[in-house]
Amino acid sequence: MIRVNNVRAGYGDGPDILQGIDLTASGGEIVTILGPNGCGKSTLLKCIAGFVRPRGGAVEMEGRDVSAVAVHDKVKHHRMGFVPQTDNVFSTLTVADNVLLGARHLPVPERNERYAELMAQYPSLASKQERKASALSGGERQILSLARALISTPKVLLLDEPSAGLSPLMMHEVFAAIAAIRDRTGMCIVMVEQNAFEALSVADRAYVLSLGKVAIEGRAADLLADPAMRHLYLGGEPPPAEPHPRLAAVS
Amino acid sequence: MVQFVVDVLIRAVDLALIAIGLSSVYSLIRFPNVALVQYATTGALLALCLQMAGLPLVVAAIAACALVGIIAVVLNVIVFERLLRAGSAIAMIGSLALSMMFSAIFLVTAGPRPKRFELEINPPLRFLGARLTEHQLMSVGISALAIIVFALILFRTDLGRCMRATATNSVLASATGIDTRKVTNTVVFLSGVMAALGGIGLSVKGEMSAQLGLDMLLPVFAAAILGGLGNALGAAVGAVVIAAAETMVTNVNFGPLFGASVLFIPAAYATAASFLLLVVVLLIKPYGLFVSEVKRV
Repeated sequence: MIRVNNVRAGYGDGPDILQGIDLTASGGEIVTILGPNGCGKSTLLKCIAGFVRPRGGAVEMEGRDVSAVAVHDKVKHHRMGFVPQTDNVFSTLTVADNVLLGARHLPVPERNERYAELMAQYPSLASKQERKASALSGGERQILSLARALISTPKVLLLDEPSAGLSPLMMHEVFAAIAAIRDRTGMCIVMVEQNAFEALSVADRAYVLSLGKVAIEGRAADLLADPAMRHLYLGGEPPPAEPHPRLAAVS
Repeated sequence: MVQFVVDVLIRAVDLALIAIGLSSVYSLIRFPNVALVQYATTGALLALCLQMAGLPLVVAAIAACALVGIIAVVLNVIVFERLLRAGSAIAMIGSLALSMMFSAIFLVTAGPRPKRFELEINPPLRFLGARLTEHQLMSVGISALAIIVFALILFRTDLGRCMRATATNSVLASATGIDTRKVTNTVVFLSGVMAALGGIGLSVKGEMSAQLGLDMLLPVFAAAILGGLGNALGAAVGAVVIAAAETMVTNVNFGPLFGASVLFIPAAYATAASFLLLVVVLLIKPYGLFVSEVKRV
């Protein structure tokens, strides 16, 4: 579904933030991208979405090179949904307008049907359809942002730190909603997350970045069980005497 | 009193058209385009030329508005998009330079003498004791209609939702599938059309000169800032407030307040009065009157 081949990227005249990244993500799986601050997680997601154009390498969606395709074209023609980390709702618009904006390119009957389905799935939004999005709580905004991205039934969903700024309870709800989306729709979900423990708990596979390169990749369950990984990213017990060579590179 | 209201409306609608354009464009590309007031002069000048070429005034005005809209988009694409990459301040200075170039072109092509549209002169109409000419009535009606149509586009159409979404958060708008560049250029086109309509309206009611745009610059900015820069309908209200202040200065007899039969403030103080009002309002509400109500556009 998504293939990132040896991508290099950065901002303006600055150095490469991403230094040759390879990543794949298929339908029906959640792939999470982890790593310390400044490692290039969000840049990689922006590169896949189209906000940052790769300086080298390629981003493919369903076998097509989409490295140079604009974000709005990816949303419309490649069925991509994107949920930014912050400012993820149109605060001056109503909840209904926020959701319906995501389905502008759909025929009206399909748009209305999808809207009704989403309101049934997310009752917390249904009761506030005519309220301004600025009146919602952080968790409700995150759900609204997900609903806006989901109304066009994307094949690929990109999430930039969906748990940012949420309470532990709300965070749990949001991750449960993300897992439910994968199970229900078979969507390909790529998620950047700081909260490694929660992210690995719902993800199928994970990539750990360090200094713009992939340091570790593997099944989420394996990484979650790895003592070295737990020590480095999950605040767990100390690592074994001789950590895995790739983990040693990250540390 | 009725005459005062009529005079305020006559002044306000043209100011409002240009101020709405200025505020709408600001909300999307975050710089106040000084050249917008020259689009008003361009519209008036083009309409005048087309009328002189034999077109009826209404057809000439429609064609001029459309042409100015296109000029606005072309300038946005080839000048302002590039300048904006260097920052809003650079783009604003560029728009000021462009405005001066427009002034020079107007002086060369139209000359320094004021010009008038060819219009039939009819006796003024009377409405509840107030007097206004047929042309004033028509101009106010068309301008008011244009403002209503703009408001309907903004709040009742898909384009309006896209405009408000892009103004609120352009990155999120792109991620929602909105072609923000196309939306911005549509708003730039509409702002050009409205500025041209404002310029034609002003010229129909009085005369057209190469200085028309520069004369409008300060009141239009005052109206847009007063309404909360970036809030289009706030700009319309700001225009009414500025027009009321200017009309108060020029039309109201202050004689009875000071024991004299007649005491009018010289018209030269009109702009000063509107700016005094602007300063007082901004001291109380630093971001304008309506910025918290409808954050942008």
